[in-house]
Amino acid sequence: MKRDSKETNKTQHTLRRRHQGIGTKPPKVENMGVTLKRIWSYMAGEKRRFILILSIVVISSALSLLGPYLLGVAVDAIIADPVTDTLLVMAGILLGVYILHSVTSWLQNYWMIGISQNTVFAIRNHLFSHLQQLPLLFYQKRQQGELMSRLTNDIENISRTLNSAIIQFTTSILTITGTIGMMLWLSPLLTLLTLTIVPVMYFGMKWITKRTGRFFKEQQKHLGDMNGYVEEMFSGQQIVTMYSQEKRVIEEFSHKNQSLKEASYWAQTYSGFIPKLMNMLNNVSFGIIVGAGGLLALNGFITIGIIVTFTTYSRQFTRPLNDLANQYNMILSAVAGAERVFQILDEAGESAQDEKAVDIERIQGVIIFRAVDFSYEKDQPILQNVSFHAAQGETVALVGPTGAGKTTILSLLSRFYELEKGEILIDGKDIKTITRESLRKQMGVVLQDSILFHTTIRENIRYGRLDATDEEVEEVAKAAHAHDFITRLPEGYDTILDSDGKGISHGQRQLLSIARAMLADPALLILDEATSSIDTVTEMKITDALDKLMEGRTSFVIAHRLNTIRNADCILVLHEGRIIEKGNHHELLRRNGFYADLVHTQSGRTEVVNE
Amino acid sequence: MRKVFSYLPTYKISVAVALSLMILELIVELMQPLLMAKIIDEGIVAEDMSVVIIWGGVLLGLSLVAFAAGIINSYFAANASQGVGHDIRRDLFQKVQAFSSRHFQTFTTPGLVTRMTNDVTQIQGVLFMLMRIALRAPLFIIGGIVMSFVVHPGLATILVLSVPILLLFLFWILTKGIVLFRKVQGKLDRMNTVLRENLSGIRLIKGFNRSEYEEERFQDVNKNLMNDNKKALWIMEVAMPVVMLGMNIVILIILWVGAIQLDTDMVKAGELVAIINYATKIMFTFSVFSFLIMHYSRGSASAARITAVLEEDTKAIHATDQALKPEVKGGISFVDVSFQYDADQRVLQHISFSAKPGVMIGILGETGSGKTTLLNLIPRLLEETEGDIYLDGYRMKDLDVEHVRNQISVVPQEAHLFSGSLIENIRWGKEGATKKEVISAAKDAQIHEFIKGLPDGYDTVLGQKGITFSGGQKQRLSIARALVRKPKILILDDSTSALDAHTEERLLTMLRRQNCTVFLVAQKISSIQNADQILLLHEGEVIGTGDHRSLLKENPYYQSVYQSQMEEDVS
Repeated sequence: MKRDSKETNKTQHTLRRRHQGIGTKPPKVENMGVTLKRIWSYMAGEKRRFILILSIVVISSALSLLGPYLLGVAVDAIIADPVTDTLLVMAGILLGVYILHSVTSWLQNYWMIGISQNTVFAIRNHLFSHLQQLPLLFYQKRQQGELMSRLTNDIENISRTLNSAIIQFTTSILTITGTIGMMLWLSPLLTLLTLTIVPVMYFGMKWITKRTGRFFKEQQKHLGDMNGYVEEMFSGQQIVTMYSQEKRVIEEFSHKNQSLKEASYWAQTYSGFIPKLMNMLNNVSFGIIVGAGGLLALNGFITIGIIVTFTTYSRQFTRPLNDLANQYNMILSAVAGAERVFQILDEAGESAQDEKAVDIERIQGVIIFRAVDFSYEKDQPILQNVSFHAAQGETVALVGPTGAGKTTILSLLSRFYELEKGEILIDGKDIKTITRESLRKQMGVVLQDSILFHTTIRENIRYGRLDATDEEVEEVAKAAHAHDFITRLPEGYDTILDSDGKGISHGQRQLLSIARAMLADPALLILDEATSSIDTVTEMKITDALDKLMEGRTSFVIAHRLNTIRNADCILVLHEGRIIEKGNHHELLRRNGFYADLVHTQSGRTEVVNE
Repeated sequence: MRKVFSYLPTYKISVAVALSLMILELIVELMQPLLMAKIIDEGIVAEDMSVVIIWGGVLLGLSLVAFAAGIINSYFAANASQGVGHDIRRDLFQKVQAFSSRHFQTFTTPGLVTRMTNDVTQIQGVLFMLMRIALRAPLFIIGGIVMSFVVHPGLATILVLSVPILLLFLFWILTKGIVLFRKVQGKLDRMNTVLRENLSGIRLIKGFNRSEYEEERFQDVNKNLMNDNKKALWIMEVAMPVVMLGMNIVILIILWVGAIQLDTDMVKAGELVAIINYATKIMFTFSVFSFLIMHYSRGSASAARITAVLEEDTKAIHATDQALKPEVKGGISFVDVSFQYDADQRVLQHISFSAKPGVMIGILGETGSGKTTLLNLIPRLLEETEGDIYLDGYRMKDLDVEHVRNQISVVPQEAHLFSGSLIENIRWGKEGATKKEVISAAKDAQIHEFIKGLPDGYDTVLGQKGITFSGGQKQRLSIARALVRKPKILILDDSTSALDAHTEERLLTMLRRQNCTVFLVAQKISSIQNADQILLLHEGEVIGTGDHRSLLKENPYYQSVYQSQMEEDVS
């Protein structure tokens, strides 16, 4: 029956509350109506079914009122005259009511789960494809963890709320009003007596939540404190051991552990009062109903059947009364989550392309930057008056301190951003007249933090060109000096990689991403060299693989190693968004300027040119 | 979960009090329908007002008793569960102190932190629940049935026959549901992986034009997740309506049989109402089960994760009863030393070399060649599986571990500083070091000038807003920390990589002047070419040893590395 699923919810809410901390303020919602309407729009084809569900909720709530009432009537009938035909009829009706109630309460949940899961599926898909459209700038402005939380927790929250909270919330309201109505109809006096527990409940809960709120906050503080301490000590555990500081550290930890225990103790104790209070009030109302009801029955005001009905009704309305606030909070937090999700959907995608933009075929790779200006925000120029020329097959090295604009130049070339002023020409064509897709098809990228996917090595390399055969994959792996280490792995090319990079070394990851770019066979190459120290032998392999990859392609390198820089056809020295020196290694050395300074002060070092 | 329960005996008084209060509460609740039967039969039916008033009052009084029992129970249950949580955290933390780097690879720092926080909290919840409602639910069902026998054995038989069937059905569905939910969790992880990859690799995805491919991939995992989620939720939704229907039918049957017996006076009206009341209460208890089982299964997953850490074999370092504490000069020799983790391949094989006090040993090798493992053997963070290591001629195994470690300073690859002030960080190396000692160490580590230039100098607090240190500064700070204790042996595990050439050179010259044996791992030959002896490590074996000159003359591996590095030297 309805009341039972409510009990389950109640306990689940207690659990959830325990995680959130009782007494936390309800989540902040900007514009409930608009957000709900937007969620509604994802239900598309299922709106009719949703309305159907709501009407079933009304029916099942009504049935949950009818059950106890009929039971009371049956009890009276039996007491009055145990063997009558009416009894048979009553039993039949009750059976019907029970069956119908079970069916409706199952059906409403079954349908609702279907709808909510479809809706969440649609939101997720929409969100993901929108993410693919968003400009790179969007990702740079945001922390990955925070984005991830919106994509997972917030949506999960919407899913859970749609699954159950909406039905529960409606049912709670219907049940409370219905039960009180029925009780008033049956016996106003007994109803009044039963309702005396409501104020006690209200003040009792207020007394408890005031305390739990405080202690949960305190617990959270201590937990955070301990968390930070543990993280620091675990990541520095080697140091702790080597300097024999275990005793001191354990001592410090035990203080934090102790204060956490104390705060949690009070939080848990007080929150344990809630079910007991509810239980006590139920018992008291049970006592009131039986005692006072008994007196009333003696005087003939009510029947024993009504007492039976009231014992169930009183439980039926105190529970949802207690749950209502939680259910509402849950809906609010889901709406707040949905708002965060929709914020992402409201972000503008990459700017529309020129309608006349055309696809380009294989390019030769002549690149010209002509007086390019760029800024993310007005008055904060990132690039100013950048001009240079790269002939087919040349290597252009970009050198300069962090923030000088090296990455921005490469991003402009891939059209991750739009220029503010000036123009970029590829084989003589303005890149604005070329479609983004066909432009990017001409490029291969090897990034500093070699991004690999959680799949086999083979598929990771194949990412460069999806229709490549296994033979082609192995061929490029050989060319990139990756084949040897791959075949030494127990699973060879079928080794599944962790996206966080466990299992193979940093240098090996780089070799794989070089192989991937080789497979793509692009006309233009964009490289962001690694800065982290890689062992000498692997580094030799990488250098060789990169040389092969760059052969015959116009390449742009954010270079860290002198070897690459020295061999570049053109070195652009950047400083605060401007090209301050331009030329090859020897020319720049002769000029005795910024570049020559860099090289001299750091001679003997191989990696610091770009620090 | 067994491991977790083994913590309970410490709090046996709290547990006992909590459990007996819970049982007291239970008894009160079981009494209620019985009293109700009395009121109906002896009061209302017999038209005796005083019986109604007295027993009605008793009912209310008992409610208050139960409430008081419940409230007090809360204190004791919380005491036990928080106590256990505290003890588990304490033991976890101590256990981790004995971990080697290998353990950190299996468990990872964030993984361990989660175990210390979320998992322990989860377990506390389960324990609290066990002492309050978990045991109560089955006890209530049994008690309810027993009490209905007391009231009327005939009608109670119906309950005895039906309740177990419904319970079995409920458990069957719930276990199925839990299995399905585990599958959902797997699908959810899969989807999160795709999401995370897309967030961190967006530049690559855009660069390779793979948006459509990624969208397809995502829709695939998303669809899988949706389907499995629906299945799991749907099966859970079947449970309660069916069980409730069953229980309601049972009540109808009781009513039906009761009505017939009422006619023949074999049952009284009050008794019938009481049995129905027991049945209803048992029905309410059923719904708690699904919650209990879900919660318990989550709790036992947490318990398993914690147990894995607690039972991890940390291989206590060999210790003898009469550990020696000789004065240390710093001579180290390895005699045919091999090392392997468990059944794994050997990480080090037959390593032999010896270093006189005060010399500098350079170590060169690829990633994974065993350099760090070799270094970890010296301060006995790991223990050799074969062969012996000697310190000044004493076998390491015969020496007191702490005594040995106090003579050694290690500077690891990743400079790790703790929150607190700079001076506190340097004092990690030697508790109670004087300011003078700290400054002298900082000077030697080439970091004094930098610290002096900070507004707060040595009292600058790390980890606060606005103050960040570069990799090179961190490395020098951790070298200062190593020097302040005036070690007899100093181990630098590629810890000068972020320094510029001049600083590194000054640092190395200073190290030569220190009165200690130095082990120096580096990527660049330029850093170690002045060492007295260079060890070339390759796949766990020493493939060459000697000074720079002799290696350059004889060793082809060394030559090729030298060649490739010199090529890059422009000046």
